[in-house]
Amino acid sequence: MADNNTFDAIVVGSGISGGWAAKELTERGLNTIMLERGFDIKHGKDYEATNRPVWEYPHRGGKTQQMIADYPHLKRDYPLNERNLHYWASDKDNPYAETKRFDWFRGYHVGGRSLMWGRQSYRWSEIDFKANEKDGIAIPWPISYKDIEPWYTHVEKFAGIQGSYENLPQLPDSHFLPAMELNVVEKDVAAKIKAHYNNKRTLIIGRTAHVTGPLGHSPQRTNCQYRDMCWNGCPFGAYFSTQSSTLPAAMATGKLTLGINSIVKEIIYDKDTKMAKGVRIIDAETNQTKDYFSKIVFLCASALNSAWILMNSATDIWPDGLGSSSGELGHNVMDHHFRVGASGEVEGYEDKYYFGHRPTGFYIPRFRNLGDEKRDYLRGFGYQGSASRNGWGREVAELSIGAELKDALSEPGGWRVGATAFGETLPHHDNKITLDKDMKDKWGLPVLNFDVEFKENEKKMRVDMKADMKEMLEIAGAKNVRDYDNDNAPGMGIHEMGPARMGRDAKTSVLNSNNQVWDCKNVFVTDGACMVSAACVNPSLTYMALTARAAAFAVEELKKMNV
Amino acid sequence: MDRRELLKMVAAATGGVVIGGEFFLAGCKNPEAGTTGKDFTDSDIAFFDEVAETIFPKTSTPGAKEAKVGQFMTVMVNDCYTKENQKAFREGQAAINAACKKMHGHDFMKAAPEHKKAVLVSLDPEVKEHQAKRKEFIKEQDDLEKKAQANGDTDFKRKTMPDHYFTMMKQLTILGYFTSKEGRTGATRYEPVPGKYIGDLDYKKGDKVFTNLN
Repeated sequence: MADNNTFDAIVVGSGISGGWAAKELTERGLNTIMLERGFDIKHGKDYEATNRPVWEYPHRGGKTQQMIADYPHLKRDYPLNERNLHYWASDKDNPYAETKRFDWFRGYHVGGRSLMWGRQSYRWSEIDFKANEKDGIAIPWPISYKDIEPWYTHVEKFAGIQGSYENLPQLPDSHFLPAMELNVVEKDVAAKIKAHYNNKRTLIIGRTAHVTGPLGHSPQRTNCQYRDMCWNGCPFGAYFSTQSSTLPAAMATGKLTLGINSIVKEIIYDKDTKMAKGVRIIDAETNQTKDYFSKIVFLCASALNSAWILMNSATDIWPDGLGSSSGELGHNVMDHHFRVGASGEVEGYEDKYYFGHRPTGFYIPRFRNLGDEKRDYLRGFGYQGSASRNGWGREVAELSIGAELKDALSEPGGWRVGATAFGETLPHHDNKITLDKDMKDKWGLPVLNFDVEFKENEKKMRVDMKADMKEMLEIAGAKNVRDYDNDNAPGMGIHEMGPARMGRDAKTSVLNSNNQVWDCKNVFVTDGACMVSAACVNPSLTYMALTARAAAFAVEELKKMNV
Repeated sequence: MDRRELLKMVAAATGGVVIGGEFFLAGCKNPEAGTTGKDFTDSDIAFFDEVAETIFPKTSTPGAKEAKVGQFMTVMVNDCYTKENQKAFREGQAAINAACKKMHGHDFMKAAPEHKKAVLVSLDPEVKEHQAKRKEFIKEQDDLEKKAQANGDTDFKRKTMPDHYFTMMKQLTILGYFTSKEGRTGATRYEPVPGKYIGDLDYKKGDKVFTNLN
């Protein structure tokens, strides 16, 4: 058994990727410590707001002027709210510098953003893995769909993904639990889109990591109860999180140690062996420094923080940090661009409604630039949306005040349908993060400076993202269709990717095809940092698969004494 | 990483978060303004209760007073509103009294329910005009801001225009009522644990809206 600071493996971060690394490494026999920079949140017991009704919040879930003052970054979008504020990292303790605006919304606690994620889960396709090579953009992926396919299967069967089988080349099916249901209006819109576009465009249920059927290996997880309270943590374990899924599995091996309040500040690099010996942490509460030692290190600290740790490591050998020899560390930062789409009114379903609060909507998979089509931009986008009846927040123009207004708003209003596009962004070397020269965080550590922007390809794509939804809704018979482009800043999509990309060549990439740092083979980076391109689908499922794949590889390499 | 996706699509698809989200958040848009003004008194709260009850009176379902909307308004105005909107909201109290005096010869609190309603209804044209102007104003500021950004002018500061006080009172009444225990459980079909989803449910006029914990 390991003593208190020496392990077989160190996993940095406890979010979606870290949880998977911990599970896979411990199940393969490694004594592992998972280091989390923030506080502990215990499954069920610490989801203090999970049954809290809205009226118990003084501001009914909204934000106060004080919150706005305290969270200069988080305030820029929906995450600043009264319901789960303590799940979002403090902007005050964790500042960052912006050469250009970047919205960085972080979760610094056990489970990380696996507690607050949107749970949308989609496989990438071979089209995505081949895109860079085909277009001559950045560098090619070092792996193809067939390399990752068994690992998608592996993680899906454990995480539990609900969805419908569609057999689409651009969006491969997962191993699904029973699909959640489209409502009556969504089915109608789906049928009309399908007919009009001759099966070239489809509207399907949004695929999510929710339990909707038997998941024998995880008896602690039960079916979704359609409360739509995911965001506060689910006491039923109905959605995948570290707490509900991977952490109990890792703990069951008896080989996992969880270290909280442990801010990993650097990897301890041994220049003689050219390997990492372990990591150095700062205790977030005592400010004490402590070293942990291991045979391998998995960086799963979230895309930008994993890059940050590398930048802070082995700077006596490489001024720009461990893994920087290619000149690509911190570069090629990507997110998805969104907040553009359309919505409209639906007539003819006044005698229909729905029951339950479904925690997903519909998805329209990518249809642009497939096959022979060539738009004036590269890649494509998908849509996430829903149809629903208006609630009490709607305007009732003909009624000003009184009993009639109260009664009218106590009933559902008319139906609306709408969707927002999520588009692929291209990797650019000059979209980068660096260590800021002046700014320090609460612990005196250097912070990131962001220099990232959306560029021409994204701007051109947004024209279609807006117009295509409007056209589809009009074809589906929606009335008063309004399109919109609410603009967005990088980071807002909360799909940060790319600053330590994989590749085939150590001269142009930070990681090899097994997520090993080229310059230090016993360090693996398996979160969003490793991504070579962004695709247009939500990335978390791919991080899970890449992490499980790299963990299996790492254990084999340990056995062969290669690391 | 995006329950936002859900929120956004609900927003996009329903417009249903306008009050709960956009409106009162709009009141919170300027980060430099705000902080609390002087404390509201019990008689202020009683006044706002009467305004709210006139907007949402007790019928077979609870009224706004029962849902303590007056108290809720003061919390929201104190904690979430910009200074400018706080000021406009407070001035509204005097304006309503003045309108009531003009119409009925005495203060709002002394008016009979139907007289109270007549006073508030009489505000409608002025409210509509004000909010239309405000919309224009915001659009102008958006354009100016864009222009300034394009010209690299970093000194540009947006100007703001307060909402009409009665818009705030009405919106806070609707928000406060439907997010209160009394409103949720008394005027809607409150289903905190539905247990299932039915995507095709028959509906007849008069059936109440479903609500949840959120």
